[in-house]
Parts: sequence; structure tokens; C-alpha cells
Amino acid sequence: MTSPAHFLRLCLRPSRRVPNLRAAAIQQSILRRPLSTTQWRSAAADDSANKNEVQEEIDEEFGNPGEFLRKFLRDESITEEERGLATRMLEDWRQVPPNKQAQFDRLTTEVNEASADLRRPVRAKRNSFWNAEEVDSDLITDEIGEDDFEEDDMMAMGHAKLEEHREFREYARIAVWEMPLLSKLAKPFQPPTQEEILRFRYTTYLGEFHPADRKVVVEFCPTDMPGLTAAQQLKLKKLAGPRYNPEKDIIKMSCERFEHQAQNKRYLGDLVDKMVATAKDPTDMFEDLPLDTRHHKFKPKLKFPRDWYLTEQRKTQLEAQRKQALLLDEEKRTEGALIDGVDTIQQALLAAKVEEPVPVLRGRLIRGRR
Amino acid sequence: MSTPNCLRCLVRPSAGIPVSGPMSRTATTATPIAALPLTRTLTAPFSTTAASNAAPRRAFQPAASTKGHSRVGKKLQLGKFKKDRVAERGRVPQPGERKAYRKRITLSNDNAIPVPWLTDLAPADMTAAENTARVLALPEEVQDQLRAGEAFKTTQCWGMFRKPAVLVRKETVNLANQMQESADNRKTLRLVVTGDKVAGKSMMLLQAMAHAHLNNWIVINLPEAHEITTASTEYAPIPNTDPVQYMQPVYVLKLIHAIKRANEQVLSKTYTIQAHPELPQNIPSNTPLLALANVAKEADGAWPVFQALWNELTAQKANRPPILLCLDGLAHAMKVSDYRSPSFERIHSHDLALVRLFTDALGGGVQFPAGGAVLAATSRNNAPRAPSMELALAQREAEARRGAGAAGVEVPQKDPFFRGYDDRVEAVLRSVRVLRVAGVDKLEARALMEYWAASGMLRATVDEKTVTEKWTLAGSGVLGEMERAALLTMRI
Repeated sequence: MTSPAHFLRLCLRPSRRVPNLRAAAIQQSILRRPLSTTQWRSAAADDSANKNEVQEEIDEEFGNPGEFLRKFLRDESITEEERGLATRMLEDWRQVPPNKQAQFDRLTTEVNEASADLRRPVRAKRNSFWNAEEVDSDLITDEIGEDDFEEDDMMAMGHAKLEEHREFREYARIAVWEMPLLSKLAKPFQPPTQEEILRFRYTTYLGEFHPADRKVVVEFCPTDMPGLTAAQQLKLKKLAGPRYNPEKDIIKMSCERFEHQAQNKRYLGDLVDKMVATAKDPTDMFEDLPLDTRHHKFKPKLKFPRDWYLTEQRKTQLEAQRKQALLLDEEKRTEGALIDGVDTIQQALLAAKVEEPVPVLRGRLIRGRR
Repeated sequence: MSTPNCLRCLVRPSAGIPVSGPMSRTATTATPIAALPLTRTLTAPFSTTAASNAAPRRAFQPAASTKGHSRVGKKLQLGKFKKDRVAERGRVPQPGERKAYRKRITLSNDNAIPVPWLTDLAPADMTAAENTARVLALPEEVQDQLRAGEAFKTTQCWGMFRKPAVLVRKETVNLANQMQESADNRKTLRLVVTGDKVAGKSMMLLQAMAHAHLNNWIVINLPEAHEITTASTEYAPIPNTDPVQYMQPVYVLKLIHAIKRANEQVLSKTYTIQAHPELPQNIPSNTPLLALANVAKEADGAWPVFQALWNELTAQKANRPPILLCLDGLAHAMKVSDYRSPSFERIHSHDLALVRLFTDALGGGVQFPAGGAVLAATSRNNAPRAPSMELALAQREAEARRGAGAAGVEVPQKDPFFRGYDDRVEAVLRSVRVLRVAGVDKLEARALMEYWAASGMLRATVDEKTVTEKWTLAGSGVLGEMERAALLTMRI
């Protein structure tokens, strides 16, 4: 069913200026890469195809609705209903006084001429230095005429600063008035129960796509598994292999094989079930295999030795020891039993008989030197 | 008018004018030839060449043709008398002399002051607990015996004192008592001495040997296990052994000589109980063992003689003195040796007959007729990794502590995924005792430092402050470190 809106659109078609679109497209492509080290190239092949399509669409321009309706009626493919409607509209147009028709034509021409500059595509200047004329969208003002002081208002920079300030205050208001209301939504921490022994970890990049956001990690303690004997727990640890951390007694597994988080989590859950089932299977309990912990490096926990702390008791003990040592020294000194190395040497030298120096012939010395 | 340059300086020696100048008296005798003008004919005072053959030396020969270089024949001579000087290097050491110098053991120092209170060790001194923290001298004959058995090491500071003396430590008393007890009960003490670097492990063996010599034991000492297992001595397969064992004839000959010299007195009073017709020299029964040991004259027959000697010593129900068997550097005896079998496979150390003899005794396979001791000491300096030995020693130690009632002691277990363990080593060390030698306490340290000061080797007053300082510097009284801190410094 053809609506009058369809015809209105058809009528307005002549004033639709496709060069505007083209200009916008070119502008967009420039904006996409404000800084580029590669040379500017003309549009690619698919772009040119689009352009042809546009060209086909605008190959005819109509000055007034009468021209358009005549062209429309010449078309063979329209339905009878459309034809009747268009014929009636053409009759209406013909009954419009000729001066009004001429006025309409004149208006169209004027609008076209006046908007020609706006519709002209914006091209990068060939001799510009790094597109210096380009509009910078990151600045807080648009930089156009911002230094012109009209004596009636603040400068544009001041307005921009105020705007920035307003923005800060807006967020501060949110933080003060609205954020505390979030605490109403807070839920008290519920420690996991005996049944919830699997701890899953998910990763989100806050809605952004990331290859790691599908990854799910599960951790659990084999001793928490209900209904497992000690031997079955040991077998579970052996099954886990290098995923078992003997220092923390935790098995940690991850999966990012599937596309969605839920799939990966399901896989891990199934895997844990399978491992527990295998651990319970008594056919082979891996008793001949010792638990392998070669993958794990045990970190020695160095602690300050307890015996080294200088407690009051220890201080008094040391004091007593030192006093006793000094007493022992003093006792020995009074007895003359304290041994002095230097003194011993002096006494030994005094006691030793000093030999007469033996004269040596000098000639022998000289010959020795030669 | 004087010339700006000395004319004499412009004259060359080749011009035939002798260079004269002030010369010392010694220089005139030393340099007549060089001072002479070189154009003169020099005749050697003694020469074996014919006079006609000995052409006169020319300093400057004019070029035969003008084509030659203008300066041919002229030599740049930097030192005036360089050519005639012969560098005096002294006497070049004979082969083996350097090694002998390196390995020499000096046991006394005439410059050291004799310590007045020093007494010689008596046979029962080391077992008495009241002798702990006393320095006692080794008697002359024991010195000779120990030297024959190579008990002294080059790294020990014997050469600084008037006569060799040892500090009796708690561990010494402990070890001597264990030895004495086992000898009294006709049992064999099997013990491994272990401990940190330079803690006194080899010294503990030496003290055990001294105790044994003083009490008329027979002492057999294998001074360094690496001499036996690092393929530095000859070896040969022993016929009719399965699996093949290897003897080391040269080393064994040396060992027999050492045993003979160290235990001459005891061996001459011990007699064979059976005849040994297979030896090069027929030994009937009831011959002194010294005569049996004397049979080994050459390396060829050394191993059978040693075997005969060992069989005689360990013969049950015979009248024998207690035996002490010692080995230092146990790790070398607890690994695969560097020797190769005929199929070029490495021989396990326990397949070397001498090492096997020791390990059998250490593992409890040999009972000495009058009891005795088998001692081994580990080494921390030149020791290959022997994981089984380390583990076994740690296990024995932990078991001993647990047996003594210490709570919370865990016996270390084998790592199930480690390949380097050795079952034969474990079998040997399954039931040995372990004696850990750690640092000395301050009382012992003080006794030792007083001995050093009284010998004039420590220039300090030995009071509690000095002792504590050195004891602390030495990592809680590690003896070797104490020596380094106090004795071996050149602070005078």
C-alpha cells in the first residue's frame, strides 16, 4: 500500500543533495586517521563502487514537482493505483498559478546556489604541514575565535574551564549522594558451605572482547571432597599430576578450550566429577606410584630463630655469663695464670742465650751477587 | 768557545775509540768485554773449536753491494750489557721434587717456644672425661707411627709448634670411649665421622689412631680414598673372581709398607696361625706377621701378601690385638670409580678389592677377632656428590637422635623420583654410627688458644674477650676457622 509519506519522500528527492554525503564520507575517512605516516591514497575499489551507485541515483535533477511527476508517469513499472495518484497530483500542480511555479523554480535554484559552498567536499590541503589546519577534537574549546574578546562575556577558555568544573562537581555529587545508596544492594559475605568446595574464577574485561575472558579456573582441596577415603584422596592427587600444589594442598585447573565461559565451566565441573569417580574406582589405586611433587618448588620459610630473641631472661643469662667470664679472667690474672702471647715471646727471648754473630767473608757475598 | 754538544757523545763505539767513563770497581771486573771496542778480535780463553774455524766477530760489515740496505748489520741494542748477562734461575727442581715439597709434613718448629705444662698422651688419657679441653702432646714413637701411616695432613698446622699436640675434645673422649668399649667387648665399632668444613674430621681420625697406637692396636690407614678410586694408580683384575674385582698392586705395596712401619712392634708379637705356601716366600705357621708383611717386595706379589695378612689379622679364635681400620674422604669410596673395565665400563668403587675390603668391614661383614673399629671420615673439600651416602648419614643421625628421645625428629626419606642413589652404598651404611664433629665450645677454644699463645704463635692475651672474639669469628668455634682467624694471620 502506497502511503502519502512515500510520495512526500519522492517529491523531496530532488532537494536531497548527495554531494553532501560524499563530503561527509571523505571527512570521516580523514578523521579516522588523524596522524598517519603513510601517504594519502584515493578511495579503494569498494568505495568507488559505492560512488557509482550514488551517481546512478542522482543522475537526474528536478527543478519542481511537476517535472518529477511527469518523469514518474513515464515509468512503465508503476502500479495503476500509483499512476492514478500521480496523475491527480500532476493535475493539482498544473492548477498552481504560473508565477507561483516560477517562484518555486527560483527558490530551488537559490537554495542550490547558496548551499554550494557547504556541499563542497573538504580536502586536505596539499601543502599543509602535518594537517596543522585540522580541527582538534580533544581540546576543551573549539579554538575558533577564542582569542577574540567581545567585551560582553568571558573568553571561551573560561567557559570551557567552568564546564570542566561543572563536570567534576557532577561526579562528586554522584559520589556523595548516589554511591552510598549502592550499599543497600550489598550482600553479606556467606562463607562457602561444605557442599561448595569448588572455587571458580572468571575474568571479565567489562564488556570488551578479550581472548582471555572465556577462561575459567577451578580450585579445590582434595581433602574437602566428601566421601573420599585417604587412599582415594591420594589417588586424586596423583591423578591431578602437576596441577596439584603440595604446599597448599590444592588442585588448580583451568579451561579456555570453548568459546563461552559457561561451556568452559561446565567442562571443568564434568572433569572434576570424572576425576572423583576415577579416584573412587578401586581397580588400580596407583599404590606403586609415589606422589610426584617434582613440579613444585618448596619455598623454605625462613624465620628468625626463637633462641636468638633477646628476651629479659636471655639478657640476664648473658649478663651472668659475662660476669662469670670476667671473674675467671680476674682470678687467673691474680694467680698469674693468664697467658699473654707477647709476654711469653719476650721472656723466651730473654731466656735464650744470644749467640755471637759469626763474621762472613765479604768476597763471597760479591761473588754471590755476580 | 765551547761546543754546545759534547764531542765524545757523538763518537760511536764502532769508530775504534773506547768509551771511557767513571766506573765502579765491581763493574770493571764485570764488564771488560762489553767495554772493549767491538772491532777487536775476541778470543775465548777456552774453546773446543779450532782456531781457524772460529771466525772473528765483526760488529760492522759494510754491505757487499750498494743494493743492500744501508743499515744492514746494525742492531738495535737497548741494554748495554744485555747480551752477556745470563739470567740466573737457580737450580731447576728435580722431577717429583715440587710434589715432595708440597706434600712434606713438618712436625716441629725450633723457633716455637716449648710449652712448659705440655704432657705426653698416656694410653688412657683420651678416654678420661677430665682431660676434655686439654692439649696433650703426641709421644715420639706415636708420632713416627702416625707419620708412617700418613695420618698427618699437609693442611694441618703441625709445623708451627715445637712438638705435635692435640686438643682433647668432647667428641674425642666420646670416640675413644666407644672404641675402647667395643674392644673390651670384642666387637667392632663401625662409625663415620662427619661434619662441616675444617671442623676437625681428619683430626678426629688422627686422634683415634693415636689412641689405637697407644693401646697397641693394629692400625691400617687408607689416608685418602681418592688415591684409590680416581684412577691414579695401577690396577689389574683379580683372577677367578666373579663379579670381577680389581687389585691395585702398587698402592697395596705402599700400604703394606706403611702398615709394617706403623705397627712394627705389634706385628712382631703377632704370629700366623696357618702356613702360606702360595706366597713367593714360604711362610710357615707361627711366624710373626711382620715377616709375612716383609714378603711383599714388589708390586707384583703385593696383593696376595696383603690378602694373606688380612686373613691372618681377621682369623677367628686367634690371639690378635684389636684392629683399627681408617679411611678418609669416604665419598670417593662411595661412588663409581674412574677406572674402566676391559669393556670400557666404569668400575664401581666397591669392585676394587681394597675398597671392598674396607666397605665390607664398615658394613659389618667382617668381625675382628679381638674387636676393634672401622672408622671413616667424610671430606668437605675434595668430595664428589654421593647422594646415597649423604642420605644414609642423615638417616642414621636422625635415627640416633630419635633413639635418644628427641621429639619431632623426622628421618629423611629417599626421593622416589631421583635416579642417583646407589644400593650398594646404602647397604654398606645401613647400620653405621655417625659422629658429627661441630665447633668446639669456649672452654676448649680457650685451652687451644692458651697453647697457641704459650707457643708464641698468638700475640694476644688469652682472656675471655679474645677467646669469644675468635670463637665467634670462627662460626661458633669451627677449629679450622679459628686457626684462620687467630693463628694463620700475619698480624704481628
